[in-house]
Amino acid sequence: MLRVGESDKDMLARLKLYEWYDENRVKSQKILLVGAGALGNEAAKNLVLSGYKKITIVDMDHVVHSNLSRCIFFRSEDADKKRYKAKVLAERLAEITDISVDYYIDKVQNIDENVLKEYDIVLGCLDNIEARLHINAHAYYHRMPYIDGATHGMIGKVQVVVPPKTPCLQCGMNITHSKVMEKRFSCTGKDVSYFEPNMPSDINTTSIIAAIQVQEALKITHGMENYIKNVFYYDGNRNFSSVLQIPINPSCPNHKK
Amino acid sequence: MNIIVKDAETGNRITMQVDEDNTIEEVIEEVANYWKKDAGAYVIRYGKKILQANSSIKEANLQDNDVIELIPDPEGGSCYRKIF
Repeated sequence: MLRVGESDKDMLARLKLYEWYDENRVKSQKILLVGAGALGNEAAKNLVLSGYKKITIVDMDHVVHSNLSRCIFFRSEDADKKRYKAKVLAERLAEITDISVDYYIDKVQNIDENVLKEYDIVLGCLDNIEARLHINAHAYYHRMPYIDGATHGMIGKVQVVVPPKTPCLQCGMNITHSKVMEKRFSCTGKDVSYFEPNMPSDINTTSIIAAIQVQEALKITHGMENYIKNVFYYDGNRNFSSVLQIPINPSCPNHKK
Repeated sequence: MNIIVKDAETGNRITMQVDEDNTIEEVIEEVANYWKKDAGAYVIRYGKKILQANSSIKEANLQDNDVIELIPDPEGGSCYRKIF
């Protein structure tokens, strides 16, 4: 029997109005969320609100006060206590709904290969090229869809890599990417995040990019073919957004036969 | 031949004389140095395409006086920590 207002008891009621939305399919997908910072917070929120139930978070860092303008799940006391982002994010996501969230407090480069290959979709919410290339290569090798998000001030991009159909991150890289990696090493002597001091970051661009990442995850989860097969590029300074084609680079190590 | 390179961040334009066998990567490096761009990753957009770094001007099918654009390739997304 259908009662007025009955559907409002279901958190996913509005999502289920999409003909294609399959709750069981979404909740059974294993999602690896790499990075629990600004993009990671937004992507995690959207994943949970979209019905994903099996999420694993990887992040090595702890919360600092400057995170709080972009990270909805972090609190001032988390920064005071230097709590790890992955752990805090896992705890706060579990407050939204019944959900299984695992986490690793480590660099993604240190996660065991056998663990990495268990996932259905990988979301990259990272801040450096090395980690991106690492997860890009491993996801490509194991034929896992990888959805990479990135921001640069009011500019952002989402690249969806679905092996073997699409180009991967490395296909679009050049000498300037190499120089960024070299600079990171030369500045610190360690493989850690390097910060361009003058580069701002805001929640608005972050939200847009993370939302697109999760939207693409939903499409892939449902076997839709209308996912971004190249790069979605957003420039808030110029009110410009477009899907830009990026060719498969035959000399890219991930595509070499 | 000449190509016109536009800096997406500033709107500045420069005309470059290039040979057909120059690569896109060489163009990126040249204009990034010329404009003294901050250390960061950049790519070249030509209409709705990002041009492959190792392809030549000829392979990229660029014509005399075509306009291409240097755009930042975002790297951020987590929460940066300044470590010096």
